[in-house]
Amino acid sequence: MLKQVGIITLLFVSSIAAAPAAPTHGHVDLTALKTALESGDEARTLNALGEVESSADAGAVPLVVALLARGASPKILARALGVSGALAKESSSATIAPYVMHRNAEVRRAAVHALIRTKGAPAVKALRQALRGSDPALRGVAADGLGALGVREAVPDLFVVLPRNVPEAAGAIGTLCEAGDCEKFLALLGKLPFDTMQSGFLPLLLRPTPDVPEKVKFEAIERLRLLATSAANELLQTALASYPKNGSEKVRRAIDAALHGHSVSGDGE
Amino acid sequence: MTRPLLTGLVLCLAVNACAAARARGDDVFSTNWQDDHGASIGQLEARLRAAPKTPNARVAIGLTERGLVAVTLDTGARWSHAAALGSLPQIAGPLVIVAERDQIVALDAQNGNKAWSVASGGLRLRGAANDGERSVLVLAGPDSYRVIGVSKSGSVLSTLESATPLGHPAVRGGVAFIPWSHQYVSAIELDSGRDSGRVLFREQTSQAVNFGGEIYFGERALTRFDDKINLARTNQAVAIALPPLSLPGNPEWLGSGETDSLPQGDARTKIRVYAAPTTKDAGLTFGGGTFAASYFRVIFGLDANTSALRWVRVVPADVVGGAAAPAGFYFCDGAGTVWSFDQDGGEGKKLELGEKITACSVDAGSGRVAQASAPAPPLVEQLSAALDVLTPDMAVAQRYLLTELGRQADPVVTKSLIDLASSPRLPGELRTEARNLLARRVVGADYMLAALEHHFDFVSGELPPPVGPLADALAASGEVRAAPLLAKHLNDPSDSTDDVARAARALKKLASPAELDDLRTFFALYRATADDDSLVQAVLSVAATLLRVGGDVGRAQVERATQDPLTQEDVRHALPALLTPQAPAKEGAPAGALPSRPPPTSGKK
Repeated sequence: MLKQVGIITLLFVSSIAAAPAAPTHGHVDLTALKTALESGDEARTLNALGEVESSADAGAVPLVVALLARGASPKILARALGVSGALAKESSSATIAPYVMHRNAEVRRAAVHALIRTKGAPAVKALRQALRGSDPALRGVAADGLGALGVREAVPDLFVVLPRNVPEAAGAIGTLCEAGDCEKFLALLGKLPFDTMQSGFLPLLLRPTPDVPEKVKFEAIERLRLLATSAANELLQTALASYPKNGSEKVRRAIDAALHGHSVSGDGE
Repeated sequence: MTRPLLTGLVLCLAVNACAAARARGDDVFSTNWQDDHGASIGQLEARLRAAPKTPNARVAIGLTERGLVAVTLDTGARWSHAAALGSLPQIAGPLVIVAERDQIVALDAQNGNKAWSVASGGLRLRGAANDGERSVLVLAGPDSYRVIGVSKSGSVLSTLESATPLGHPAVRGGVAFIPWSHQYVSAIELDSGRDSGRVLFREQTSQAVNFGGEIYFGERALTRFDDKINLARTNQAVAIALPPLSLPGNPEWLGSGETDSLPQGDARTKIRVYAAPTTKDAGLTFGGGTFAASYFRVIFGLDANTSALRWVRVVPADVVGGAAAPAGFYFCDGAGTVWSFDQDGGEGKKLELGEKITACSVDAGSGRVAQASAPAPPLVEQLSAALDVLTPDMAVAQRYLLTELGRQADPVVTKSLIDLASSPRLPGELRTEARNLLARRVVGADYMLAALEHHFDFVSGELPPPVGPLADALAASGEVRAAPLLAKHLNDPSDSTDDVARAARALKKLASPAELDDLRTFFALYRATADDDSLVQAVLSVAATLLRVGGDVGRAQVERATQDPLTQEDVRHALPALLTPQAPAKEGAPAGALPSRPPPTSGKK
């Protein structure tokens, strides 16, 4: 189970962080599309949005953005935001961003998910705002998004929300932390429940060495070893199994040693 | 036979007065009485004018599970007295008189030493008084009442039996004053039990009390025993009453004198008025121009003439007794602390009884509470501090204090109301009341603007400000600096929809083109998604504002919404009226009122 969670987290983070450009499948009739999106007919508008998503036609982006700028019913808005995310154009972000503050929960969650894919400064600003907002579920998604978008300046906020029922912040911290912050994260082990912190360890261990010094990784491995729980052990096994081939051999050996009950010293031996 | 009784018997035999001293009081307490128009009481007053006016001892006496603990107010000397108590202690001249088992016991108020005791005859102690020499006791049974005169040495001087309920007594110059039948006070010579005068009152009278050595009669109002007492029957004697009161718990001042002083405290012990009449010019006032009231932990200082709140204090434990001095007040709390406050609420010397207590008797005698070295802080600060420490179980007091706070014109009150409007210490209904008071504020705009700068923030822990009331108040005063702040709140989902509707209504009056981006965003986000009446109202207000400040862009956005079937039904029906040039608003229409529109069809769409 833990392996699955860890791998899913990794896949989620890596897939978003390195979100490829939306594949192009074809072109839509933009004139017809415009007419449909401006029809005021909910069913017709939803069909049109479906077409845009299937075609992944970047030419349709301005029309979808215009629809969002005008406003529409919650159902259309949620769909339009989803399509905007699928199209993944940064130019959409400024129009999507206000929807993160919409009163309709479905709409604002669709907006956050979309922004994680469209990226850009408005997306970062809106996600940071969502992390501070009053919607608990949105805070979790926003924390994931901030990690995915590599928003390092959000790390102090992530530390604040982590112990307050936003465990997703751990994953983001593990993805974003630099040496000092990573050590601060490790120091929370024992103070916060392991469940809360769990998602932060895998990204921390698997990140390239220049971002997270080996010394910090050794400390993380040793602390996990000392926990001597099945969950911690499982996490180390997952780390070993998914450890990048071009990763530090010392770190890999340290994980292996910890799994065999050996203490991990500062040099990884 | 106990020594005092024996002494009394010996004295009786010596002076051959026993038969005369123990009598039925039916003649004394008879309504079959020829009104002498104040003649007898006038003569008595003239005779007693030279008699010493003995104030009660300045002492606080608390009841514990084991008996009494006391502290003298002047020296702080403490004493205790272990006993199974049958009454509250009565401070009577230099004595403390209390019922113990089948005895009425007198203790020296300064040190607790036993002075004398007399048999209670199975009756309860209702009241006691002392003039420095003699004491009078009023005892009560189920159907019978007894007045006992006791000498300084503890001899029973006279005993008068009565079937008529009797009130709390006073005594001067060997003459006891006994209220009865709610309108009479009979004067009785303690040495002989002889009736020496009577006064008729038109006000309810069940108490004869000693304040600083002066004797007063009454219950809800007090009439002084002086050279005008013969005019009492025509309400021309020197008297004083409290102004009308509207206080938490409806506290009483003296209460009925026809109740027994039972040892166990109850809620009324903690909810009381304390007022001491003092001489002012030819008449009376309450000491220092103030009187006080307690409501559990809260003490209110009130203006003697108007009952307006002058100061308020909250003590750590419930007030279980106290006394008004000629200036200032003493209060015992349940933790055993005796607090003193000057007439302006300045805190004076604190004394300790040393134990937790359930009830307390205090008398300030003729001594004043010295003016506190540090004056009490301004009333606004006192109110805010009191509201800050009170918990929701004190909602009645909180409501009173909140209302008083709202009456204060100081701009800083606005800040207090802003804090209280979201304070978890207040029950929801009082937070609503704080919001209502805030909405009517006409001062403190800078505090309002500062509050509007804030939004809900999960990271910093900030709560949303009371946007709606602030919007109302700022719109009423035409404060255009509020416009950009209110516009930002339109798009904050942490604010309630009611707050947003009021912000939008205020913006109809206050907004400028500088707020156009926020207005347009709000309109776009909600013109098709408004799912409650408040949001619908907000959208329509914003539409009106867009038409006023938005130029062609704003008008185009509104016009387009009128034609879009996706626009929320109520919004779409109301928009055309906004687009139509209107006749001038009817006089008396509320500022910012929306044009008439069809009633909403439902809350949710």
